[in-house]
Amino acid sequence: MNRPMDRLWVLMTASFVIYALLAIVMGVIPGIVLSDTKPTPGLSPLSASAARGRDVYVSEGCSYCHTQQVRPLAQDLVFGRPSTRGDYAYSTPQLLGTERTGPDLTNIGKRQPSAVWNYIHLYEPRSLVSASIMPAYPWLFSVKAHADPGDVTVPVPPGYAPANTVVVAGSNAIDLVAYLQSLKQPQLGSAK
Amino acid sequence: MDVAGSQREAREQATLLSAFVGSATVWLLIATAIGVLLSFKFPFPDLATSPYLSFGRLRAIHTNGTFYAFASVALSGMAIYVAARSSGAAVFAKPVAWVSLALFNLAAILGTITLDLGMSDGSQEYREWLWWVRVIFLIGAICSAYVVAGTIANRVERPIYIANWYTLGAFTFTTILWIVALIPTYQIGLGGVTLQAFYMHNAVGMWFTFLALGVTYYALPKLLNRPIYSYSLGVLAFWTNLVFYPIIGSHHYEFSPLPWWLQTLAIVFSVGMLIPVFAGSANLILTTRGRWEIVRRSYALPFLAAGVVYYFVGSTQGTFEALRTAQAYWHFTSFTVGHSHATMYGFITLITFGAVYALLPLATGQQPSILLTGVHFWFALLGVTLYVVVLSVGGTIQGIDWASGNPFISSVEAAAPFWLARALGGSMMFVSHLLFAYNVYVMVAAKRTAFEPKAQAA
Repeated sequence: MNRPMDRLWVLMTASFVIYALLAIVMGVIPGIVLSDTKPTPGLSPLSASAARGRDVYVSEGCSYCHTQQVRPLAQDLVFGRPSTRGDYAYSTPQLLGTERTGPDLTNIGKRQPSAVWNYIHLYEPRSLVSASIMPAYPWLFSVKAHADPGDVTVPVPPGYAPANTVVVAGSNAIDLVAYLQSLKQPQLGSAK
Repeated sequence: MDVAGSQREAREQATLLSAFVGSATVWLLIATAIGVLLSFKFPFPDLATSPYLSFGRLRAIHTNGTFYAFASVALSGMAIYVAARSSGAAVFAKPVAWVSLALFNLAAILGTITLDLGMSDGSQEYREWLWWVRVIFLIGAICSAYVVAGTIANRVERPIYIANWYTLGAFTFTTILWIVALIPTYQIGLGGVTLQAFYMHNAVGMWFTFLALGVTYYALPKLLNRPIYSYSLGVLAFWTNLVFYPIIGSHHYEFSPLPWWLQTLAIVFSVGMLIPVFAGSANLILTTRGRWEIVRRSYALPFLAAGVVYYFVGSTQGTFEALRTAQAYWHFTSFTVGHSHATMYGFITLITFGAVYALLPLATGQQPSILLTGVHFWFALLGVTLYVVVLSVGGTIQGIDWASGNPFISSVEAAAPFWLARALGGSMMFVSHLLFAYNVYVMVAAKRTAFEPKAQAA
């Protein structure tokens, strides 16, 4: 019996080479070129706290429901100006997202600058927006009998936190809100 | 091989296939129970508020669990079995196959635990597992590839059967894809976006599509007892899918800052994908021509037939979805989730069920009850169809709502009834999985008693 290794090698080598070339042309080369994108003028790297907050954003999977890309379409302009390549220079791993169950957050630092609003909203979204289906994140906070000096207390509306307690933002909540506040689109084309 | 030797080989193949399918079934139950919980968090957002049961962590556990711990393991096990049966050869390097199964499960366990602890490599769909967990899975896949290729090398006939083209291709492409996706140097900022576009699409279309079509090319003619309609159509679909598919990933990022030409190229080749999709689905449907009475009476064929129809419908839908006019409305809406379930469930999972019902009784000699299999079929088919239809309608309403300039929350309120109906469809699918699990138990556990006489008859 003749062992027909030849055809097996031809098939496997041909599919390997073709796919490897396509992976380089469609994945690696665009990746190399785009990784080198210069930041949009006016865009600054994240502060240490905001960078930790970005890790919390990734850990909790925020980007499964919130995009960070404004498309050049009329319905998107409510979220900001259309995103440009340089806007993502400091965004690794990328958080563009593929679903918008909640609103886009590209420019949320300008659209919702209030830290207090963000704390209350993270603790229990429905205390501010009754129809919201966003998950509550009480584990980013602690509930105490009394606030200690230096605590960031959160004025949760009555009925949404245990009675006679104070809600205090934990370090993850503080970092996450710092990240959300850092999400601001720099203006384009501003003359120097 | 002597009679005793071939009986031992048949018994070892049955054990191996049973282990892959059994392991996959356990993960199917876990991952889809999580899916049901997630679907009920839309109508009841304060349900199960805990970091370990939160939407953002469980979503990745659901998708990676169904993709890698369920479908990949079941289809890899069947690819090994198909390689041996269609080549008339013993399974090559069986210990390596067992190592592969162990590594797949190790990766799935570690991946699930780390994601639930909030440790992920970015919320990048289908590669959220930490890089070293993905390396474990990749080594598992390479072990399976080694077994499949080695088995086919020992075939008795010179031509390589078309089923094995597809499964060999799946392992080859996926090995390259996973390695390319692991290297971080060209994934900074937007570079990461272009890699993600390439990865997320290819992980489906160069892995699951090829594996599912591969086992179908074996199981369908086997059950119908006739050759495949056209070998050439199968080969045409193989090469066109290989060349076109890797180009179209960027259609997941239309209107993004990715280069416009890259997006346009992706749309053009998304239309080109109609060639392999039409060639592949027509080839399989034409194989059943005039034999619908056999399909109707079989318990495996209805799954395969429905899976092929979903392959055709879901992939054609994907082509039209990629057009810019459609994306302007449907992108970011629940329509996409409907599409991914039409393809990953309607196509891949129904084919997986059908192939298990076709191959596992062949290996173990033990058949499940026709009634329970029929109930499984209708719950799975009606469940996924309800799921896809309501999310397609609800997603369209979301898109129109955004385009009309209403406040964002009105799109949430408008989609709410459709999300509730989706939870119902998902629950039906989960019930069908309980029946599947029982059927797998019957096909696997009873094999010791029923095996010997039936193997001799075959």
